[in-house]
Amino acid sequence: MTAVNARGATTPPATAGATPPRSNMGKARARREGRAAFLFLLPDSLGLLIFVFIPMLMSIALGFFRLDGFGNLSFIGVANYVRMVHDPQFLQSAGVTAVYLVILVPAVFVVALLLALLVQQRIPFVGAIRTALFAPYVVSLVVVGLMWQFLLADKVGVVNQFLSHVGITGISWLGDPKYTLGTVVVISIWFQMGYYMIIFLSGLQDIPAELYEAARIDGAGAWQRFANITWPLLRPTSLFVLITVTIAVITGGFDLIYILTGGGPAGSTSLLIFYIYQQAFLFGEYGYAAAIGSVLVLVLLIWSAFLFRATKGGRVDDE
Amino acid sequence: MTNESVSSETMTTRTMKGLGASSAGATSGRRGRRPRTGRERRWTRKNTILFIVGVVIALLTIFPLAYMLLSSFKTPADVYGTSVLPKTWTFKNFVYVFTEVPFARYMLNSFLISAIITVVALFFHSMAAYALARLRFKGRETIFLIIFSTLLVSLPVVLIPEFEIVRLLGLLDSYGGLIVPSIFSAFGIFLLRQFYQGLPDELEEAALVDGASYWRIYWSIVLPLSRPIMAALAVFFFLANWNSFVWPLTITSNPNLRVVQVGISTFHQQYASSESYIIAASTVAAIPTLLLFFFFQKQITESIKTSGFK
Amino acid sequence: MAELTPGGQVTRRGFLLGSAAVAATATAFTLSGCSTKGSAAGRPLQFWQFYAPQTQTAPDLKAQNDWFQKAVGDWNAAHRQKVENVFIPNFTDPSNTRLATAFASGDGPDIFLISPGDFLRYYNGGALLDLAPYMTKEAIADFNPDILATRQVGNGVYGLPMEVEPLAMFYSKPAWEKAHLSEGDIPKTWDEMLDVAKKLTTPSRSGLVFETVPGYFQNFTWYPWMWQGRGDVVDAHQNPSFDSKAVTQALDLFGRSVRTGVAPRTDPAAGDLPGAFAQGYAAMWQSGIWQVAGFRGSQPKFEYGVFPLPTPPGGIPRTVLGGWAWCVNARGRNPEAAARFVVETVGSMSEASVQRIVDWCSVAKSDMPPRKSVDARMKAKGAFDDPTLKYFHDTILPTGRGEPRYPPVVYKAISNAIQQVQTAGGDAAAQARTGNDAIEAFMQTYKGGTLL
Repeated sequence: MTAVNARGATTPPATAGATPPRSNMGKARARREGRAAFLFLLPDSLGLLIFVFIPMLMSIALGFFRLDGFGNLSFIGVANYVRMVHDPQFLQSAGVTAVYLVILVPAVFVVALLLALLVQQRIPFVGAIRTALFAPYVVSLVVVGLMWQFLLADKVGVVNQFLSHVGITGISWLGDPKYTLGTVVVISIWFQMGYYMIIFLSGLQDIPAELYEAARIDGAGAWQRFANITWPLLRPTSLFVLITVTIAVITGGFDLIYILTGGGPAGSTSLLIFYIYQQAFLFGEYGYAAAIGSVLVLVLLIWSAFLFRATKGGRVDDE
Repeated sequence: MTNESVSSETMTTRTMKGLGASSAGATSGRRGRRPRTGRERRWTRKNTILFIVGVVIALLTIFPLAYMLLSSFKTPADVYGTSVLPKTWTFKNFVYVFTEVPFARYMLNSFLISAIITVVALFFHSMAAYALARLRFKGRETIFLIIFSTLLVSLPVVLIPEFEIVRLLGLLDSYGGLIVPSIFSAFGIFLLRQFYQGLPDELEEAALVDGASYWRIYWSIVLPLSRPIMAALAVFFFLANWNSFVWPLTITSNPNLRVVQVGISTFHQQYASSESYIIAASTVAAIPTLLLFFFFQKQITESIKTSGFK
Repeated sequence: MAELTPGGQVTRRGFLLGSAAVAATATAFTLSGCSTKGSAAGRPLQFWQFYAPQTQTAPDLKAQNDWFQKAVGDWNAAHRQKVENVFIPNFTDPSNTRLATAFASGDGPDIFLISPGDFLRYYNGGALLDLAPYMTKEAIADFNPDILATRQVGNGVYGLPMEVEPLAMFYSKPAWEKAHLSEGDIPKTWDEMLDVAKKLTTPSRSGLVFETVPGYFQNFTWYPWMWQGRGDVVDAHQNPSFDSKAVTQALDLFGRSVRTGVAPRTDPAAGDLPGAFAQGYAAMWQSGIWQVAGFRGSQPKFEYGVFPLPTPPGGIPRTVLGGWAWCVNARGRNPEAAARFVVETVGSMSEASVQRIVDWCSVAKSDMPPRKSVDARMKAKGAFDDPTLKYFHDTILPTGRGEPRYPPVVYKAISNAIQQVQTAGGDAAAQARTGNDAIEAFMQTYKGGTLL
């Protein structure tokens, strides 16, 4: 407890919500600081504006048009949005995505954090263990998908062979709508956990070591140290992970689905991102795809705003 | 070795900046840390248990990848077999990958593109993040919000507008088109900003009093302090670009510009079986990034920010 | 500012300008006012496909590469407007972003290959040039009418098929023997097929494989089962006829095969038929003539057989004929030259053109010919002497119907019905009704090429 308060006291005002002016900050310095900030921000802002932000605005605008795959365009107002409400495939995909999200995001968060706490320890061969845990992320999804297809094959796959020794047979992990989404979730955790483990790991490195020393001297146990030091001080990292996992889960993962199940069986793994891909590149319905994309942006924006609010921007100090 | 020298260099810089008190603290912090490192590395009972847990999880995690590695030595007929080990070991898949297509060229393309993007992106993103986290100016939160919002779009809906822009800039079918748009992503800015916000305030105060420019503070203090997080980001960026597929596929036709993942997809034929080549090629493609990670993970976990600063 | 096309639609360029204004960065986009097309006149026309140039030296890949390079080389030797082959990786993946993005941005190839499943999307988008004005009547009549029909709208010819690929049932002779089955057990009806499949099914082997991955290809493999009961997606007047007994029983065939455990829920050996047969993972598999070349390439010694798709009670023998066609981008840089190239290369009565298709269907691939003249010449040169190819030519090909062309919404409605019944235990009749409703709703406002 003392540790956190000590840390809280020294937390710079730069991280507080409404930035209070520094006592010694004169006008000249403010101008100098503003100019420096402009120059520091310039290269990235320009690039983001041209290559991401403008395309994003264009795609949001596209949501109000009917655009086929051959440049034929007509303004249709909110018809794409109305269509969504009446599109059973969209609704099914939205449902699948919601379930996927609610299971996957907390799972990746917890697994990655636990792994980070494990490999933060100075245990022997920890470098090799870290590399092994990160390894799934290194391999391209195309071949990852192929490998899992082999491992999870009906009847003869390694997993089913193993399970047959304990009396479980006949499960089609990638072919039975009862199991497919669960299978995809497990593979996604396996694939992503190393990535977020690394982010947690660098967040953990950020926590001053003598806070733990002090807590030890005070007689705090491992759980108390985690609850009173690690967890609160890890908040900026946790916020980052929570937000980026959500974004990645919603806007990514197309390739894995495409390789593993093609959105099937019977639409059980048809995530929204997969549906958007289909609408855009398989059906040439770019306007409709853009409208669905805009809905996703809106949902993510609300969710991120909520998280920023709830955690005060992931700041360390509670005051 | 390298860690050592860079760290001491950083400390020298700090001392030069007149951060006497802090650097003294840092030194003592380091002194206090060293012996602990030595102590905990040993096979204590706690460490042995954690080691066993770690190894079990690690083995389970890499099993599918080990299966991939072993499969790359299988004959095309054997690749669907149920045995984990190849019936007969063959190097033919690897020979095929390197002799039937210019795979080395694909790897070189990917390496150059990924390396350039990584270096430039780290530089730009850390600059932007520094401004967003540590400098005060009007509209800071708004600018951050706009930058953040670009994280939320999904690739399929921006692919066509982005293609148009790259075409207008005359970058289709060129290294420029493969490199420039990929530099810009809000992910790195966001992560670095979160990190920089945690740095103590005294850090630049003393330097500013001494009359150092913001550029000097960024270059000599902030940048060296962000080495662990930059090492993590370097791995992420390199990896993301090394494995990128959709963008290079969409904007290039010239076979000389083919990158690794697009190259691998050329083994894929409409109906014929070519899985063993795809597996071998993917295995080869994974090796550079795995090595990169293995050597960088030490940097990621090395604490440069020492207690004295806090 | 936005330009209007005759149809009253805002053009893509107009849209670009409009949205740039939204972005308050119009400056970046005034550039788009000047066309990039004009400068390209001297450059070779681009022919996007998935065969050439190709460095891999496997015999079939090399033969296909050489054929394409020679076809383009022959044209370039005699014409000022050159053509170049552009190999597009992953081209056959229907959601390939390369082709789609290029077309959507008005930057599509001049000449390209498409399969029938995609035809209406391209045709309705105005992307296909009518090749009929460049062809002789004789040459048009030389094409097998069943095959050409799905590339025609009215009198227009919007694509020239280069090959015909029928589906049949492949079976593994070793599996057959192990199950003590003989030639006489080759099934003629659906019930016989499921019975035999049951005998062939073991803990590691699937007796019968129908495609499981949702997509154009699965629909393609399913259509013949529907046609066998004289069913169809739309009737002669373009009214939906999906809610029928023929459709229901065909859907139920896929459902029964999985329910009874004789057919798998995922493709064995990741979809590699010769590999799955060799490993003993499958005994019967509905697939196409390309597997003949597939066996030759990867399992040359494996003994397999082929028989026509069995039929339902009172049904007619039917199969489906796939294959790719050459098309010209109506908005390409020099559509006229591109059309002449396509017609001269694969659609004229010239000796060279006929021989070229003979070479494609017999040397580069093992396919059935799309043209009568080619058929005659292939017969004369003994291209069908191989017993399997002869069987395909004499027995299976005559029962074939060209792969249908449906707009994406109709394709998706059919795909949903198949998937629901096959894998989710859905009721076939109910799914046929649901599909019919979706198709009906779509057809009420559909304007475009007829569904065939």
